[in-house]
Amino acid sequence: MAALRRIAGGVSINEVTATLRTLTINDVNNSLSRQLPSSTQARWMSRMKRRHTMPPFWLPKITRTMYPENITPENQAFVSEVIANQYSSPLKSDPWERGQWTEKVRRCGVIARKIGIYPMWKKDGTRLLTTLLQVSDNHVIKYIPPEEMATSYFNKRTGNVAGLVVGADSIDPREATKEFQSLFVESGVLPKRKVSKFVISPSAKLAPGTPLYASHFRPGDYVDILGITIDRGFQGVMKRWGFKGLPASHGVTKAHRAGGNIGGGGEKGRVWPGTKMPGHMGRNRRILRGVKIWRINTRHNVIWVSGPAVPGSVGSYVNIYDCSLPTRKINAENHPPFPTFFQDEEDIEEELYDADLHVFSDKSVTFAEK
Amino acid sequence: MGVYVARMKVHPYVPVREGEGLQDVKLPEDFCKVYPEFLPDPKPEWRNRMRERLERADMLKRRNVMEIPEFYVGSIMAVTVSDPNASGKLNRFVGICIQRGGTGLRAWFILRNVVDHQGVEILYEMYSPLIQSIDVLRLEKRLDDELLYLRDALPEYSTFSFDMEQEPLPENVEVPVNPIKVQLKPRPWHERWERKNLQGLQDLGLPERFYKRAKLLEKPWEKYDLMLEYRQAISEDEQRDIFREVHPHYQQLESSRRRIKRHRSGIKPKTT
Repeated sequence: MAALRRIAGGVSINEVTATLRTLTINDVNNSLSRQLPSSTQARWMSRMKRRHTMPPFWLPKITRTMYPENITPENQAFVSEVIANQYSSPLKSDPWERGQWTEKVRRCGVIARKIGIYPMWKKDGTRLLTTLLQVSDNHVIKYIPPEEMATSYFNKRTGNVAGLVVGADSIDPREATKEFQSLFVESGVLPKRKVSKFVISPSAKLAPGTPLYASHFRPGDYVDILGITIDRGFQGVMKRWGFKGLPASHGVTKAHRAGGNIGGGGEKGRVWPGTKMPGHMGRNRRILRGVKIWRINTRHNVIWVSGPAVPGSVGSYVNIYDCSLPTRKINAENHPPFPTFFQDEEDIEEELYDADLHVFSDKSVTFAEK
Repeated sequence: MGVYVARMKVHPYVPVREGEGLQDVKLPEDFCKVYPEFLPDPKPEWRNRMRERLERADMLKRRNVMEIPEFYVGSIMAVTVSDPNASGKLNRFVGICIQRGGTGLRAWFILRNVVDHQGVEILYEMYSPLIQSIDVLRLEKRLDDELLYLRDALPEYSTFSFDMEQEPLPENVEVPVNPIKVQLKPRPWHERWERKNLQGLQDLGLPERFYKRAKLLEKPWEKYDLMLEYRQAISEDEQRDIFREVHPHYQQLESSRRRIKRHRSGIKPKTT
C-alpha cells in the first residue's frame, strides 16, 4: 500500500502526520488481508489491534481539566442563562432540499443507548425477549460531501458516498474543550457525548442541526445494530473459545480448565498463528444483522428490538442502521421515511406496534375453536 | 459472565422533588409485600429508570385487562390459560403456590398439585397474555417463604381438589398464617432441608451429625451484614417514587385484590 511504503521509506514528520490522518482502520485491513492466504482461519493478523485504550491522536480532546474557579452562585446562574440562550433557538438557515427514495439509496442511522431488556408476547402467545434502545437527543452535526469522503482509499472504491456526523446526548459546554466545541458551531447544538459517522448516499443528506428521533424507523423494519461488546477481561480458553476442558478427576493434575494440546509436529512443528488460547475477551466491535423492530414509543424515543443479544452492556451506545441483508430489501411501497421522519413538522402516535405484537391493553390471547 | 469490573459507580438515589406537580402520597406499608414485582431488580448493572418506568406502565396496562389478585406463598390458586392443544382451548390448573419470584414483566409463580398420584408443578408468568384468569381459592401464608420441601413431603400436603371452592376472607382481616408442620417422606430428599432453617417442617428425625454439620455451615453474620441488605433492597425513597407512579391506578389495583366482601366472621385457616 502506497501510503505505508512512503512512511517506511523515511519522510518528514509532517508528511507522516498528514498521511496517517488519511489512513483508516479499513485501509490497513484491506491491504493486509490481501496478503493473507485465504486458507488460514485467523480472524485478524496478530499485529492488528482490535481495541485501543486511547483514541487516535488526531481526534480533539473532549473534556477539559476542571479547576476550582470559585465562581459565585450569581455568576454561575448567569453563565447557565447565557448557555441556555445560546443553544435554545435553532440556527436560522435556508432549509436543505430533501431527497427522494430510490432502490439503492442509503439512509442515515441513529445513535441509541441500550436501556434494558424485557419480555413481550406476540398475538399467538409466543414469548420473545426485546431489548430497549433509547434514541436520546440525536442531532446531525455535519454533512461530509462526496468529494471530502472520497479522500479515503476505502470510499474511493465504493462509489459516490457522502457522510453524516451524528451526535447523541448533550454535555455541558463548560466541561468541553474549545476544540471540541468548535465541531458543533456549524450545527448550533450543544456538544455531544457520543459522535458517530454514518455513510449515506448524497440524496439522503440532512442539514446540520436536524434532530433525529426513534420515528426514523417503523415497527416491522429490520435493522443492523453496531456496538462494542461487554468487556470480559482476560478469560480462559473455556469461556473464550468454548473448549471443554479436562476431566475433574481420574488423575488430571491442575489442568481442569486448560486448553490441552496446542499443535502437532512434523514440518509445521510450531504453534500456528491464530491458535486459540486465553486472552482478552470482549470489548470488540460487532454488528448484529437483521434485527426486527417490534415497537416504538415516540414520546420517549424508545425502540424495542428482537432478542437480548444487542452488543454492549446496559447504558452503552449503539449505532442503528437500515438492514443491509439481501433478504430484507426494501421496495417502493414500504420504504422508511426518507431522508428521515421530521417529527417537528408531522404528527405521529405515541405508541406504535408491529402487527404481530400483542399490546398489553388488549384482551388476553385466545385460540378459536376449529 | 465471570469478571465483575469495578467501574460501575452506584450513586445514592435522588428522590423526585416534592413540588413538581406530585401530590404528597404516603407509601402504604404493605406495598412491597402485595406488589413485589413493581420493585425493580436491585442489581445496578441492569438498572435504568426509563426502562423501569416503561415496564411499570406496561404492567399496569395488563392489570387493567386482567386482574391479578393478592397472593402469597402458601395460597391455593386456580389459573386458567388458553392452550391451543386443550379441548375447549382453555386449561385450568389448581395448586398451592410454592415459590414466587421475578421482577417487572418477568414476575412468575409456581403452583404445585398432585394429579393421579403424580406431583405436577407449573410455572406461570403473571403478565403473559395467555393467562385468562388467576383466582385465589384460599388466601393464606405459611411459616416459610418457599415451600419447595413439599416435593419431599407426603403427597397429602400437596393434594388439592380441582373442584375446590373459593374461601372468602372478611374485608379487614389480616392474611392468616397457617402454622401447619409438614411431615417429610424418608430420605433421600431433593435438598438438605436441615440446613435451610425451615419452620414449617416436623422434626426431621436425622442423626446428630447432620445437625452438627448444618450448624458448622451456618452464616449467622449475614443478619448483621448491612451492605448485603443494601445491595438486595430498594431504598424507601425510591419505593415512594415508584408508588407515586402507580398511585393513579392504585384504587383499581386495590379493588382487584379480590378480597371478597362477604362478611363471615370466625373463619379459621383449614389445615390441609
